[in-house]
Amino acid sequence: MKKSIAERGILSPYDYKKPTVLAVYALLILLVVIAALFTLYPYTVTILNSLKAREEVFVFPVQYWPHHLKWHNYAEAWKFLQLWHYLKNTIFIVAGNMAFSLVIIGLAAFSLAHLEVPKRRWFTMFFMLTLLIPPSTYIIPNFLNLKSLGLLNTFWAFWLPSAANAFNLLLIRSFFGTIHKELFESARLDGASELRCFFRIAVPLSVPVLITLLIFTFSSSWNDWFWPSLIMQKENMYPLASAVYKYVIPSRSIDWNVKFAVLVLLLIPPVLFFVFFQKYIVRGMNLGAVKG
Amino acid sequence: MAKWIKKYRWGLLFLLPEIAVFLLFLWVPIVRGIVYSFEKVDFVAGIQFVGLDNYRDILSRSEILQSVRNSLYYMVLCVLIGFWVPCLFAVIVSELRRFQGFARSLLYFPTLVPSVALYGMWLWFYDSVGPFNSFLASLGLDKIPFLTDTHWAMPSIVLMETWQQFGGAFIIYIAGMAGIPRDLYEAAEIDGAGVWQRIRHITLPGIRHLLVLMFIMQLIATSQAYQSQQAITDGGPVNATLTYGLMIIREAFTNLNYGTASAMGVLMLIVLGGLSVLYMRLDKDGVISR
Repeated sequence: MKKSIAERGILSPYDYKKPTVLAVYALLILLVVIAALFTLYPYTVTILNSLKAREEVFVFPVQYWPHHLKWHNYAEAWKFLQLWHYLKNTIFIVAGNMAFSLVIIGLAAFSLAHLEVPKRRWFTMFFMLTLLIPPSTYIIPNFLNLKSLGLLNTFWAFWLPSAANAFNLLLIRSFFGTIHKELFESARLDGASELRCFFRIAVPLSVPVLITLLIFTFSSSWNDWFWPSLIMQKENMYPLASAVYKYVIPSRSIDWNVKFAVLVLLLIPPVLFFVFFQKYIVRGMNLGAVKG
Repeated sequence: MAKWIKKYRWGLLFLLPEIAVFLLFLWVPIVRGIVYSFEKVDFVAGIQFVGLDNYRDILSRSEILQSVRNSLYYMVLCVLIGFWVPCLFAVIVSELRRFQGFARSLLYFPTLVPSVALYGMWLWFYDSVGPFNSFLASLGLDKIPFLTDTHWAMPSIVLMETWQQFGGAFIIYIAGMAGIPRDLYEAAEIDGAGVWQRIRHITLPGIRHLLVLMFIMQLIATSQAYQSQQAITDGGPVNATLTYGLMIIREAFTNLNYGTASAMGVLMLIVLGGLSVLYMRLDKDGVISR
């Protein structure tokens, strides 16, 4: 895009000179500032509340700043119900989901994009038709199915189904489709196997989109609390989110300042992820929007 | 035959694991759900075919009407409170000449909050001595029982979810607007179109496709909602937030009527199936991946 054209949006430099336009524009910017404060307030207040003394959280009217910073709340939050144990479960689930979706979805996407497949259209339909069926319409049979497969209370109940995701398959396949076929053909002439083509050529060339896939997988497995609490009936198998939902939020014996400290711990990883992988997140979300 | 195998073996081999997991964890449950809806599912006494009994049973409940009404009410509120917000902010933020990237990230931030943390935070915000009521008191207004009043419970949940979720749609609209050619604005301005006219006749039509898609997607998503209602108000007070989705969950995991719960899922599938097909037809090139 040329700079001279990119400089303008809906408004042109000429518009900025009109008082009414300028007034409305300023008003709308004020609105954005208010919205920004409204998005920030819950974050900051959560952090500040986690550093308050026990009684301070429920002082009315609400006080924004704590009197003294009580870092000890975090030590208490950490000790409470072995958060570390649940965090380990979550890490286990996230790592497994990432590995399984990367390999299984990646191989299938590679096959659909670059290998000889009979009746390719039928296979594609087989995968994509699942997008038409909203998940909560089959949540009950899904649960019963995992039960009859004997997967309840095992991590396999997360790992294997995480690869059954048509969205992610679509995402990776369309990216693989942009890699030139000649690359693989010359590798094959040099005697490379298809597995080698996949791991040595397709995967390294697709790092950005694979990171997008990993981010999606991370955020859904980090956030999910309801489904894990159904399929993990043994509570020591709960991921962190389910454990916090079950033991921390409704609990009357835990003080709210400590609760807020737990919430902050829950918030940190997604925020860090966002800060480090920002461009991949936005990229994944509007993969087609920019192109189309 | 040998030639056929030689030609296709790698393609099929690479597809095999994916076919297996799709079959095992998507298609089998989907088909089984339909089968279960005609059965009395009891793992101790055995499964029994009962014809349409499950459907009759559900439709005769008094709660069903209320849950459908609650779900519809929730959907309407989500459109009224939530649908236009991301679009409005996308228009404004895309016009920012400075700090645009900063504003974008900032408004996207709530989307990062995990649901459980969201519930914890907002339970306190809505508390009778929380910040909202504190603010009302400072204006000299009465306190509002946000989550314990039948009229306030659902709007309170929608406000909370709008806060968390509008960032996703916001970013999608921003990207869509970036694709509108600048010279259209230039040409319209030369022809004497005012700012509002440019927005109305260029910007909005430019993202019309996205707006329609997001609207349908929102309908599909909100009609299934149950998690916040379960977590924040547990369907109450007095069933005011008992959505259809939540009723399915209760029917299965509280009442252990898996058959009737599956039948409710099938009924929902029939209603939403049409919307999904419409969505897929409009979203042929996968404009919105998520």
